[in-house]
Amino acid sequence: MFWGKSRNIIAALEVGSTKVAVAVGEIRPDGTLALLGIGEGPSGQVRKCEIVDFEVAQGCVREALAAAEQKTDVVIAEVYLAISGAHLRSSNTRVTTQVNHDGDEVTQDDVQEIQDMAAAQPLPTDHAIVHHLLQYYVLDDGSKTDNPIGLASKKLTAHFHQVFGLATRLQTTIRCVKELSIDVKNYCLSSYATAQAVLTRHQKQAGAVVINLGGGISDYIAYQHGAVVHTGVLGVGGDHLTNDIVSGLKIPYAKAELLKKTEGSVILDPADGDATITLPGAYNFEERNLYRASLNTIMQARQAEIFEIILDDLQSAHFWPDFAGTIYITGGASQVRGLVELASQIFPCPVELAHQSPFDGDQIYGRRPDLSTLLGLLQYARQAELEVPASRGLARVGQSLKRALASMRLI
Amino acid sequence: MIEFTADGPFAGGKADPLFPDRVRIIGLGQAGAAVCDQLVLHGRPGQDIWVFDSDQQTIEASVVPNRHLIGASTVHGLGCSGDLDLAREIVQQEAARLADTLRGCDFVILVVALGSSTGLALAEHLTQLGRHAGAKVIAIGVQPFSFEGWARRERSVAAIATLRAECDSVLVLAHDRLDASPDAPRNIRHRFHLMHQLMAQAVQALAQVVCKRGLIQLSFADVRSLYGRYQGAEALENCWVAHVDGDIHDTTGELIERLFNSPMLADESIWKLIDHAIVAVSGTRDLGLSDVQEMVGAFQQRLETDIAIATSASLDDEQHDRVRMTVLLAMTAPIPLEAKPATAKTPPKTPRVLGDTVSLAHLGPKKKAAPAAKTTVADEKPAPKSAKPKPAPAAPKPAPAYLPPVAIVGETIGEEPPIHDPRPDRAPDETRTRYVEARQEEMQFEPTRGRFENTAETIYRGENLDQPTFRRRRLAIKL
Repeated sequence: MFWGKSRNIIAALEVGSTKVAVAVGEIRPDGTLALLGIGEGPSGQVRKCEIVDFEVAQGCVREALAAAEQKTDVVIAEVYLAISGAHLRSSNTRVTTQVNHDGDEVTQDDVQEIQDMAAAQPLPTDHAIVHHLLQYYVLDDGSKTDNPIGLASKKLTAHFHQVFGLATRLQTTIRCVKELSIDVKNYCLSSYATAQAVLTRHQKQAGAVVINLGGGISDYIAYQHGAVVHTGVLGVGGDHLTNDIVSGLKIPYAKAELLKKTEGSVILDPADGDATITLPGAYNFEERNLYRASLNTIMQARQAEIFEIILDDLQSAHFWPDFAGTIYITGGASQVRGLVELASQIFPCPVELAHQSPFDGDQIYGRRPDLSTLLGLLQYARQAELEVPASRGLARVGQSLKRALASMRLI
Repeated sequence: MIEFTADGPFAGGKADPLFPDRVRIIGLGQAGAAVCDQLVLHGRPGQDIWVFDSDQQTIEASVVPNRHLIGASTVHGLGCSGDLDLAREIVQQEAARLADTLRGCDFVILVVALGSSTGLALAEHLTQLGRHAGAKVIAIGVQPFSFEGWARRERSVAAIATLRAECDSVLVLAHDRLDASPDAPRNIRHRFHLMHQLMAQAVQALAQVVCKRGLIQLSFADVRSLYGRYQGAEALENCWVAHVDGDIHDTTGELIERLFNSPMLADESIWKLIDHAIVAVSGTRDLGLSDVQEMVGAFQQRLETDIAIATSASLDDEQHDRVRMTVLLAMTAPIPLEAKPATAKTPPKTPRVLGDTVSLAHLGPKKKAAPAAKTTVADEKPAPKSAKPKPAPAAPKPAPAYLPPVAIVGETIGEEPPIHDPRPDRAPDETRTRYVEARQEEMQFEPTRGRFENTAETIYRGENLDQPTFRRRRLAIKL
């Protein structure tokens, strides 16, 4: 039977401001993940992780999916989608339920009830929930636990970190994919996905902040005692550095992007003085000499501002006074020179560039910080797939048929 | 022969209108209406109660005789759906109708939910009217549940600040305080109902106190001394209510035990905060001074901490063989430092957990206060009553990201970065001066946001972050 030995394939899709990328992986029978390949293409009309032109963005997604299918020889019928954007907000909340059993023993039903209550938390108008991430449970004597089942308590309180965003913006991104006959199996906050790729359990326990410097946005997530305690999205990213260079040095966008990557630094060096950079001419662009100090001043001002805003937000969060962990920086815009030095000057705690967790597959992708969200999303998808019981019988037939039809673009 | 004419308060076997034209209770918004309904159904008869809301359903469902729908021409009886700006607009439109609301009364008790829209806008307006009319304004409000979101919570915090600047006394209760009670109903509708009952009992007790009528009299000054002193204004929640309704034949011990089983007193941490209490006792003519003394004494004995207690007692012939005891607990001292969040200096820009807001900090696990917080206590005191009331906090407006250029003269530049002067015929010395007076006000084009022209602006503290940082910070760029 054609569905008899189907492989457990998962796909992750990220629609970013600079690129659209699709990662395809396979969950092996022992539960490990193997990366089969990544298809990617430039992103069009996506600004700050929000779609500005639906058709153009959809075309980019289509191309990236096709590239991934071609590379991995896999038909993609459903994807896990990374969600981001400056409209996303978060809050810490708690939910309490009474335990009404003999002996006041907490059961799975109580835990399920409390999760249902968390999912039903009221949100601001026009907002939809993205995640409600469990932090810990509190029993009636004030003790905290990750797993309250079997413990005795008259009352059970669960602390959650909930992430929500504008429903219309979320729908636009999901619809962009679904209209290509690709199911969105689940979605995940970008920063949460990134953390799955770069943080170990030990690092989450010890306390960590992951800052993902993307093209259109900078998002960050904070862990303490193994739980998510704070998330944030700032609608400023690497594109803003480039835009500032365009505005300040009066050069085309493509030249500015190249200049940023090849010559730029976010550390001001007094030795630069009047040192200049020669920007080679092209058929419609005359060769120009630019002051290196000017370039670095523009970049340093923007990058320092991003870090200062993030620090300001972190300092206002309740976890910060007790935070004793490390800040990890990743993302495409983290490849700028002098970034860690600048961050170390601003953040009052250790700062490092993040390294991705090892995985099976082409290791060249593991060295690219701009793919950390995508690879983290794949890890998230693996975890989600392993938690859901494997479908059997008719359900499996249905899935296989759906995939076959999807491959023909009939649904 | 001497004839006796029954002209006392219970003449004719029926209570005369209580405090006519003196104490007016006004329920604002849906919550206010619900509290006033409780007063009409279970409170003393003859009270002067009014209700205002923009939601027709609320008004129609209310049992208060004096109920008024506002803003019908704008929202058509559909309410403001949490839009405070719309509610303020409606209130301004109805200003002429509202002008006479407080005429002739000495005391006004406003009942409002602090996270609401119509209620809050009305409270702001009526408070000002009350001050102009010379009436003493007491506001009693309830903070929203923590799960109602940070937006409502921040709105309630701003509302408390506004009301405290304007009102004579502000009593703030918190919905979340009922969480600690194992007897509090789990059904949210019932829980709201319970809170409305508690607020109604608090209003009833306040009315009893300020009307100076009864066996043992207190006055408005007693209320004001507890809820109008804002040395501890960091505390948002400053009032806890307990109530017991019993039979005159119940023993004092039973009554006090039931009083202490009130839902709001289930959280034992509140006793660390409470330093004052008003005990309002009312009952039939059979209620004697010794009974009151015994009840208050038993209440005092039951307390674990020593707090100052003021007692008011009154008779109510409508209560057949019943006795009611309402306790208003108050916190007048600042919150202990260790209960304050370490980063209280700056308001949160991001959603926060319940336990981290100032008022309910003691609910969550105790956090070690950062040294910086200790120095901010004095800074956070509200303006004194005599000070000009603070305007309502306005939404941050995006500041112009591109300010008119100021040219350079008269000042030595010093540490400022050198500014490039494109004029080739200028001597080097002249470039180091600043033309302070010359300011180009005209021909300021709106600066372009470049690549982000078609996207939603990213505004942070009034600055448009899509504009280049070097330009906003006026950094010199050599070309």
